[in-house]
Amino acid sequence: MKITVAGAQKDFPGGLTVAQLIELENVETPEYVTVSLNDEFVENGAFTSTVLNDGDSVEFLYFMGGGC
Amino acid sequence: MADYTIDETVDITDVVCPVTFVKAKVALEELDEGQLISIRMNDGEPVQNVPRSIKEEGHQILKLTDNGDGTYNLIVRKVGD
Amino acid sequence: MAFTNEQLERYSRHILLSEVGVKGQKKLLNAKVLIIGAGGLGAPAALYLAAAGVGTIGIADADTVDLSNLQRQVIHSTPDVGKAKVLSAKETMLAINPEITVNTHRTFVAADNIMELIDGYDFILDGTDNFPAKFLINDACVLAGKPFSHAGIIRFKGQLMTYVPGQGPCYRCVFKEPPPPDAVPTCKQAGVIGAMGGVIGSLQAMEAVKYIIGKGDLLTGSLLTYDALKMEFRKIKLPRAKNCAVCGEHPSILAPFDYEQAVCELKH
Repeated sequence: MKITVAGAQKDFPGGLTVAQLIELENVETPEYVTVSLNDEFVENGAFTSTVLNDGDSVEFLYFMGGGC
Repeated sequence: MADYTIDETVDITDVVCPVTFVKAKVALEELDEGQLISIRMNDGEPVQNVPRSIKEEGHQILKLTDNGDGTYNLIVRKVGD
Repeated sequence: MAFTNEQLERYSRHILLSEVGVKGQKKLLNAKVLIIGAGGLGAPAALYLAAAGVGTIGIADADTVDLSNLQRQVIHSTPDVGKAKVLSAKETMLAINPEITVNTHRTFVAADNIMELIDGYDFILDGTDNFPAKFLINDACVLAGKPFSHAGIIRFKGQLMTYVPGQGPCYRCVFKEPPPPDAVPTCKQAGVIGAMGGVIGSLQAMEAVKYIIGKGDLLTGSLLTYDALKMEFRKIKLPRAKNCAVCGEHPSILAPFDYEQAVCELKH
């Protein structure tokens, strides 16, 4: 199935969960990432239970604390 | 040609580009629609550019008079708010 | 209030813009903006807001200038090392524009001072460098109904979003609570490319100016991310979280509070 991740469309196996996508994409600081699926937030506790579908769009939002 | 009834005047001979146009623009902003303003400007760059810039802003140029002393008077009717 | 010839000249490049004009410049002169943090983000923001003629600018920071700041905190110079950052910043801002008023707040923000600090200002810029402060500023602004610009930078990346009461998510909608101390690196640990503060801090100043003059679209409901190495800007749509602890339908945060600071961030 085709999923857009951070603006780039890629191919993924069907039945992929958000948690699995995070691993495949080598997301930095995976314990502290915010995930948006089709412009809605996915609860942190729901990463393993949320299954992705063809045409979905996923964004990873990271903590950035510097300002110094 | 009939004389115009001037509502406001502004003298922009004491500043240089682009403040010449800025000062004229500021004075025009103070007017109500339809009011007339007389702008005194220097010969050279101001008279070459300011009337055109004011026209580009949408206002109506009524008359430009050479005062014979190195300055011009431009009469403008304000258009719009 | 009529402009002097000198003011017309100083702000001529603003007044020429149809979106600004005399009306917009007057709004800037009457505006009050608070910048929390006189560092990588606050420094460029303060320079541009002073130059723009924002009439009252508050700057809050308890630190003194140190040598490692000069690689990016362009409001401070070598002779300022050792000086209080807010004093150094004020000097530079007034040198650019002597007409404005600069209020210095030589303090760190905390739950016991933030509400009073933000009270007198129309728009707040978060230029802080730690998560407890970022969440504190967010909560205080939401509770007080103040619009603010959030931003963060690290290495070659930066991001920002704008909060306007009632017009989209707050920072906590997106990032529910701070990560544990030391879980996510800071500039001190990981480094940051100097100009990143300039890019993002200037964008923060731009948001403040747009808010004040009431023109253009603000970054509400979107997170702008910048990856300098990839040379990529992205605008990511942000939903508002109905269950957000501070701005949601049933808020549980009713007053600002202090999170524990990371050990390496503790100031002396």
